[in-house]
Amino acid sequence: MTRLLRTYASELLLVVLIVLAGLWSSALSPYFLDPDNLLKSAQFFVIFELMAFGLFPIVVLGEIDISLASTLAIGSVMFASLSISGVPLIAALPIVLAATAGLGAINGILVGYAGLPSLAVTLGTMGAYRGLAYLLGGDAGVVGITPEYLLLGSSRIVMVPASVVLALVVAGAFAVLMGWTAFGRYSYAIGSSPRAARMAAVPVNRVRVMAYALGGAMAGLAGLVWVSQYQSARGDNADGSILFVVTAVVLGGISIKGGSGRAIGVLLATVLLGTIQTGMRLANVPGTSQALVVGALLIGSVGLPRAVSLLRQRFSSSSLSFGAQGGGA
Amino acid sequence: MRTAAGLAHALRELGGLSGGAGALRIRFIGVIVFQFLLIVVFTALAPRFLTWDNAQSILFTAAILAIAACGQTLVVLTGNLDLSVGSIMGLTGYIVFSIASQAPGLQPFVIVIAIVFGVALGAFNGFLVAVLEIPSIVATLGTLSIYRGLVSFYANATEVTSGELPRWMRTLAETSWLGLSSYVWIALVTVLIVGGMLRMLPWGRQIYAYGSNPRAAHFYGLNSTRIVIGAYIGAGLIAAIAGLLLGAQVGNINSLLASGIELSVLAAVVIGGVSIWGGTGSVYGAVIGAIVLATINNGLVLLQVQEFYRLVLQGGAIVAAVAVDAVVQKRVQSATTRRRIMGVEA
Repeated sequence: MTRLLRTYASELLLVVLIVLAGLWSSALSPYFLDPDNLLKSAQFFVIFELMAFGLFPIVVLGEIDISLASTLAIGSVMFASLSISGVPLIAALPIVLAATAGLGAINGILVGYAGLPSLAVTLGTMGAYRGLAYLLGGDAGVVGITPEYLLLGSSRIVMVPASVVLALVVAGAFAVLMGWTAFGRYSYAIGSSPRAARMAAVPVNRVRVMAYALGGAMAGLAGLVWVSQYQSARGDNADGSILFVVTAVVLGGISIKGGSGRAIGVLLATVLLGTIQTGMRLANVPGTSQALVVGALLIGSVGLPRAVSLLRQRFSSSSLSFGAQGGGA
Repeated sequence: MRTAAGLAHALRELGGLSGGAGALRIRFIGVIVFQFLLIVVFTALAPRFLTWDNAQSILFTAAILAIAACGQTLVVLTGNLDLSVGSIMGLTGYIVFSIASQAPGLQPFVIVIAIVFGVALGAFNGFLVAVLEIPSIVATLGTLSIYRGLVSFYANATEVTSGELPRWMRTLAETSWLGLSSYVWIALVTVLIVGGMLRMLPWGRQIYAYGSNPRAAHFYGLNSTRIVIGAYIGAGLIAAIAGLLLGAQVGNINSLLASGIELSVLAAVVIGGVSIWGGTGSVYGAVIGAIVLATINNGLVLLQVQEFYRLVLQGGAIVAAVAVDAVVQKRVQSATTRRRIMGVEA
């Protein structure tokens, strides 16, 4: 039991924070705990959750992808354009997902085979893909989406919005992928030590390309959710949202140095961020002030363990050297 | 392939340096050549490009970016990142001018107040990275949100209007000396000071030493905590001054001042040849990186092409720059290894 507690300590902390944030939000507004309101609010975080899960294996590998929001924009613009030119969704889905996976794979090849630093590469492709999205979407963006494409954003499966169901399915799929498949195990191995993984005959570069391609595909899927919820698509969709996504992943206990973290953490972190943001919206806190809380959470969650151990060290050493130095604060 | 190797060899001979240092020099020359190519291409496509007026406007645009890139260089040299540079600029720009407009007696001292803010914000970043050992990308992503949140909380959706700014700051923003905007001169002075400090002062040499090999620096007896915090304080201070200048230029300041600029600053630094792995590069390169970015923006606006080309060209330049860096890095490494082996043999 204690072992279980220790293993899932960061996840338990997230659950406690979610409960606290929920209590605070419901104290602010009686409407918060209304199930219908909760599910409606949850919808707005599906896009971020999908991107966070796309980023999750990449961060486990010890890399980063800040171009995902731009890939999302390409996905949403492609879905919208295919929709107005009469392509059925069932045909559009593989086309767009393959295209966005290809964009992700380009990042993966540059990072894996060419050995370039992922932050700089995706900083470059972030701009290039955003440009591509502008080119595809035109100045005015795309509107007049057919109802078929809007189904995901408007329909409900037994009370629960379809997009929220999709989010949960994706979370389950990633838990299986990272926990029980060769790809997942390889990812953790590479993230812990690329050299050791290579010596153990792990196809390091292939796994990297696959992870980036998967990330691109998830961003494409998030693009479909975007289209279904906002009923339009433009080149600037989701611009600047990557910081929120990275925050969700790191807050979920995925080490940015690679090699550790679980899918459930990503899901809980997204729920926590969603709860806090919904609560603050109810309290009429403006958007950019909400960033203050999100940033503090991020730093607190990552820095707290080290801060505690530093403090403990200081107090134990000062009590030991009490006689010699006469103590000290 | 053979000609490329021959060219590299010839250039190395020209530099009069062996392996690593030669590769670094070629990297620096490469950025200048790229800038030159941009000028040639833009001049061919748009004759209006190569005029004194336009050059002035490019340099003016590049000035603030170059100043901010100087600060970022300090941090990147230590092998870390500062994503909060835009938020430091915004926070300082807004809050300092807001204080000055409420207490007019403080107006002559806005720079002093900005420096205090910059040092404090930078020191906090450094504390998170060096003491709490949070990876710099996470730590400064957090402070990016926190600092921006603070200024938005403080601003409460109001603006500091241009009339409220200290008169002398407004005048400064509009002044030209010897045909160039005062901002260009300020940027030049900043670059020379920071470049000189990196070259001459122990502080600067320690940043390079720590950045190229943190372990070796530790064994040598350098205090890594102090070096990293020092670099962040320098970056914060420079960002604060850049924020002040940007604020005076913009006039009506809201809480979103300079938001998103961190990516351009990072792009300038990367294009300028400051290695993202730390330890190599110079502020001069970063400044040329800023000028390259400003030239791309300016030229493509003159050509009236779509946003697409600007973003693709900029993105392509970044990827190309790090690709070249990877090659340079390998050369530097193989050069130092070879030297070591030879040393053992001798």
